[in-house]
Amino acid sequence: MGKNLIARNNINRIGSGSQTIMFAHGYGCDQHMWRYITPAFEEAYDIILFDHVGSGNSDENEYRFEKYNTLKGYADDIIELCENLELTEVIFVGHSVSSMIGALAAAKRPELFKQLIMIGPSPCYINDDNYYGGFSKEDIDELIDTLESNYLGWSSLITPVIMGNPDKPEFTEELNNSFCRMNPEIAKHFAKVTFLGDNRQDLSKITTPVLIIQCHPDVIAPIKVGQFVYGSVQNGSYKLLEVSGHCPHLTAPDQTIQALKSYIENYN
Amino acid sequence: MKSKFIEHTEDLYQNAPCGYLTMLADGEIVNINNTLLFWLGYKRDEVLYKKRFPDLLGIGGKMYYETHMMPLLQMQEKVKEINMELRGSEKRVVPVLINGIKVQAQAGETFYRLSIIDITQRKQYEKELLKARKEAEETNKRLREINEELEHFAYTASHDLQAPLNNIGSVISLIERKKLLPKGEEGDELFSIIASNTQRMRTMIHDLLEYSKLDGKIGELVHISLRETSFLAMEMLNEEISKNGAKFTIEELPIIHGNKSQITRLFLNLFSNAIKYRKAEPPQIHVSFKEERNFFTVFVQDNGTGFEQKYDKKIFNFMERLHSHDEIAGTGIGLSACKRIVDKHGGSIGVSSVPGEGSTFYFTLPKNLDTASS
Repeated sequence: MGKNLIARNNINRIGSGSQTIMFAHGYGCDQHMWRYITPAFEEAYDIILFDHVGSGNSDENEYRFEKYNTLKGYADDIIELCENLELTEVIFVGHSVSSMIGALAAAKRPELFKQLIMIGPSPCYINDDNYYGGFSKEDIDELIDTLESNYLGWSSLITPVIMGNPDKPEFTEELNNSFCRMNPEIAKHFAKVTFLGDNRQDLSKITTPVLIIQCHPDVIAPIKVGQFVYGSVQNGSYKLLEVSGHCPHLTAPDQTIQALKSYIENYN
Repeated sequence: MKSKFIEHTEDLYQNAPCGYLTMLADGEIVNINNTLLFWLGYKRDEVLYKKRFPDLLGIGGKMYYETHMMPLLQMQEKVKEINMELRGSEKRVVPVLINGIKVQAQAGETFYRLSIIDITQRKQYEKELLKARKEAEETNKRLREINEELEHFAYTASHDLQAPLNNIGSVISLIERKKLLPKGEEGDELFSIIASNTQRMRTMIHDLLEYSKLDGKIGELVHISLRETSFLAMEMLNEEISKNGAKFTIEELPIIHGNKSQITRLFLNLFSNAIKYRKAEPPQIHVSFKEERNFFTVFVQDNGTGFEQKYDKKIFNFMERLHSHDEIAGTGIGLSACKRIVDKHGGSIGVSSVPGEGSTFYFTLPKNLDTASS
């Protein structure tokens, strides 16, 4: 059972504990970005890693543009994944866009989640009358332009070779390089869905306890946005890290691990 | 003897033909060379320890830096050929290509070295290419749509025209059978013009319908014995063959990969032409083949009227004919259907002909249909 899902989302399960933590990567990357974090949890937790469809080593053929036209498509995948692996009371750690994907999943199926931990969340990237998201619509177009001029190793010519020869070791390096490699059409679509979405209304529907981990300065999810999320959820905690950038789990794994552990272990 | 050349490393760094920049994990710029400062129009003290690398990027670049470039540098300790635009003073914009590595210093500090190449001209060229590609893609899409519409139209029109025409045909036979027309030479003549034109229209619509069925798709591919297929085509022409006393000699033919009904139609059209454009003596049709490295060539030779070689392209054009309908009935669709079938199988079709001696039509079919267009 769930064999298709395992391939679809490239699911990897590690760790020897019983409490499940699911780590969900953000836009542009894949599950490898949790590499510096997971060793600290392997002994005491059951860890689920996966790639969103269209990212990393997920099954690109499963990418349906209609399904993934909103973050709900990804949230449904998470729910399906929990059901198939018979998980409940999951601690969900989502980076960036996955914070909102987790939020949508938890609002729909609260019993599946024990805690939501959001690293650099933003429910809406575009500025609105009384809301600061940090970006204008034109900014997102500029990102799309940058994406269009950077294929990052993705090539319509080499992809089939890699796909066709998964057992051959000489391709391992290229498979490892799948990190950040995305079909350009999917990359653009995912970028639009991520950065043009508005999930502000969904935050108040979450009954699950939420921790917001905020960096400063963070261009993608500025401090004001993190505070907005904190102010909008019913049951929130807020942790500001002395780290700049959008990926503290890469640049400051120790601080990130500490923030995760102190919340997970103390909040009950 | 030449004296040994000495490169001064500091000068090499500062004035290299590419930009160099060193930053910390949070992007803080801790070293930058003269070349890059010159491109950006900044003074060293405006940048060093004052700006972060993302400060040099536009908003899209900043997002890309956070979501792709920095994670890659962290995870793979290098990035290659990242294309960004650097923003300098006074609204300077420099399109660049960035390579970077992560350096683990002995003291435990991590920093990142970037080498930066100015690609202003290359970018211009890339834009031209992208523009051309987008235009081509759009034209292609539009053409595909138009083609589909046309195919659909041709199919619907010819299909829908069949029913009223069949009615007219039945009425004509009814009138003839019941002898409803008054006797008289003029009436007979006019009536026979109606009947023959109705028949001609029926043939034309039938051919059009068959042609429009050969739409964009090649359909199901199977292994086909060309010899069996040519026998099948002969069976379908049974009536004409016996009426004209046509003689066929069909040699051993290869097995190919293709669409069976289309290949049958190909032979059918070629055979029926060979019979139709006959001389006084009975038609003799000879089918043979030649094996090449990647394809087979099949020859259909007749002893018919032939035509001047200069028409060898024209006869494959849609609804073009060398004879008027009154001389020899026809629609000019059969050979263009042949061409379409062969094209779709990835081959080509041609003819060599001598007036009064006969024609040899030949077509190629690839041994491996992967090379065929779909």
